[in-house]
Amino acid sequence: MTHTSPDETIWHYDGTSAMRRHPRIDWTAETFTLRWDGGTSGPHRWGDLLPVDGTGGRSIYGLRGRHGWRLGFTGAPPQDFAIHLPLPARYGRWIDRIGLWRALALFAVIAAGVVYAVLRAPTWIAPHIPLAWEQRLGDAMIGDFGGRLCETPASRAAIEKLRMSLGKDVPIRRIGIANVKMVNAVALPGGHILLFDQLVQEARSADELAGVLTHEIGHVRNRDTMTALVRQFGLSIVLGGFGGDLGNAANSLLTLSYGRDAERAADTYSIAALREADISPLPTAAFFERLGGGSDGEKMERAATIMASHPVSAERRKAFEDSARKGHRYQSALTPAEWRAIVNACKEDKDVAPASRFPF
Amino acid sequence: MSDQTSRAFGFEGTWREFAPIAFTNLLLTIVTLGIYRFWATTRTRRYLWSRTRFIDEPLEWTGTGLELLIGFLIVLVLFGIPFLFLQFGVQAMILRGQAPLAGVLGLVAFAAIFYLAGVARMRMLRYRLSRTWWHGIRGGSNDKGWGYGWSYVWRNIVAWIPLGLLIPWSMTSLWNDRWNAMSFGPHSFRARVMPGPLFKRFLLFYLLPFILFAALVAMIFAGGEALMKAGIDPDTPPPFSTIVMTIIMVLIFYALIGLVALAYYSKFFRIAIGSMSLSTLDFHFTARAKDWLKLILGDIALVLLTLGIGIIFLSYRHWKFFVTHLDASGEISLSDLTQSATDAPGQGEGLADAFDIGAI
Repeated sequence: MTHTSPDETIWHYDGTSAMRRHPRIDWTAETFTLRWDGGTSGPHRWGDLLPVDGTGGRSIYGLRGRHGWRLGFTGAPPQDFAIHLPLPARYGRWIDRIGLWRALALFAVIAAGVVYAVLRAPTWIAPHIPLAWEQRLGDAMIGDFGGRLCETPASRAAIEKLRMSLGKDVPIRRIGIANVKMVNAVALPGGHILLFDQLVQEARSADELAGVLTHEIGHVRNRDTMTALVRQFGLSIVLGGFGGDLGNAANSLLTLSYGRDAERAADTYSIAALREADISPLPTAAFFERLGGGSDGEKMERAATIMASHPVSAERRKAFEDSARKGHRYQSALTPAEWRAIVNACKEDKDVAPASRFPF
Repeated sequence: MSDQTSRAFGFEGTWREFAPIAFTNLLLTIVTLGIYRFWATTRTRRYLWSRTRFIDEPLEWTGTGLELLIGFLIVLVLFGIPFLFLQFGVQAMILRGQAPLAGVLGLVAFAAIFYLAGVARMRMLRYRLSRTWWHGIRGGSNDKGWGYGWSYVWRNIVAWIPLGLLIPWSMTSLWNDRWNAMSFGPHSFRARVMPGPLFKRFLLFYLLPFILFAALVAMIFAGGEALMKAGIDPDTPPPFSTIVMTIIMVLIFYALIGLVALAYYSKFFRIAIGSMSLSTLDFHFTARAKDWLKLILGDIALVLLTLGIGIIFLSYRHWKFFVTHLDASGEISLSDLTQSATDAPGQGEGLADAFDIGAI
């Protein structure tokens, strides 16, 4: 057995009173014991010693299961005693084990993976959310849209005709004309599509409107709004921003781009559906051209909203143009009377809430 | 050195020692997407406590990062997620025309947060004391804070009924409630701060906006009259000098309000801590308004000059400020200072963390 003599540089608190002792330490290869005038502590096993953060060159140890028990040394502990002592923790147990720089690199790689997964996850999760949930969520979000949906018996029939010819197999629950002064159309969760009245007013023909509508039907079919919602919900959690409220969520759906891939997929659906319905894609291409600041761009001053959510590119316009069959006589999407019914829906619907510039 | 040892509390850290801790904390927090911040807080406190001397011995912080993480997760599960849904729900209800119910639920949510903010203050103090050791003895409380939450709610409401004039009363009585429930070792803290001495500064703070506003109105009137006499058309844009003057006046307005608020808070802390005792020890806090002003201006300069990086040193500066102005007189009997019999809370200050309550 080895020992140190009692010494001012070695001190001990027993965890039951604040009295400071200067014990003599006796130790063997397995255990150690503290002895002072009127008391002893031990024998304790070496493995039960816990390092406490050294302060100003002092080394302090606690004892497993004995709160407040402390053994301290001014400076380093005696050499042949020290070999039994554990090393103090620094950054945290795991990080100390692999080293700071390696830990930093490892965490950075994991963090990059997590960020990637969070960004991709909505695309993986959204298709697995039951349609019934999405429908309930969509109904809760939109309700009756503040009474701002325009409808007459004739416009309802015309819209129904468009739906049957352009999106018969897509779970659309409602296509509404909203009395909002914005050039825009949106697909909302739960199979709701809103055409804003200003878009209807500025469209030159039913075929043009049909092109925009089928694009939105494409979003409904691909469940892009749900993906966007999941992404936003996820981001608000990840970023700790619990301030995300629904009005904002719905509002940002208007300006949220679903991403280039989703827009392209919706266009692909749109082109195929127009072809199926035997409606010319050229008016839609012309509409894009006007949005893109073509011949009468100034007339479309309010187009900014639809452009923010639907980036118009020459490439997209060309896709529509190229899909047109040369010399083919297309059908009209609607009869002139049906088209008028849609154009005049907001004027003729007496119950509709007054037009607003902002949808929510 | 003699000045330092004559005070009961002393701070013996240096920013050079703290810098490696602060910078590695920042790095690790970034690469772990913020998760390391619980361990970062723990490392910071371990350092700050270990450099804080009380009489003959440094304090010791024994809290762990895991405790803080668990506290945070409990808050997230118990309150955060239902709160998120409530927020979504309220918006949806308003959109569906159920505004009254939405209002009631919103009020319930607000009341719950108010109550929990009170509980959080108490639990934060309890957690910090229970993890603070000196001479192998710790502090704590057997009060879990549920009752304090209610008195926090009703005292704040009562304080606001006479247009906020009773705020000094609510602040002091809540301070007393909080500290009288705390103990260190076998001794209870006693806090007996009275609101009376605070009212003069509080009234200054309270009335200053009105006085400044009246002065402003008078100046505008005088200025307007002068303009009229000079025959200047009030529709012409004001000269540049007038705009600069207006900006300067607005800045002076806010600076004055800030200064008076600082004067109030410095007095509050001085008399609140000055009213406290533990067994035969009486506490004092010597920071006056000009010391607080120096601290805050120093903070601003540090953060601006380092382009924001200096933020990681603020906790160091604030703790040093607190400790160097804290003093205690009287004697403490080490043999009477036996171990605390209070329950140590299992988790960290999650609630307070969630509500972002930082200061002592």
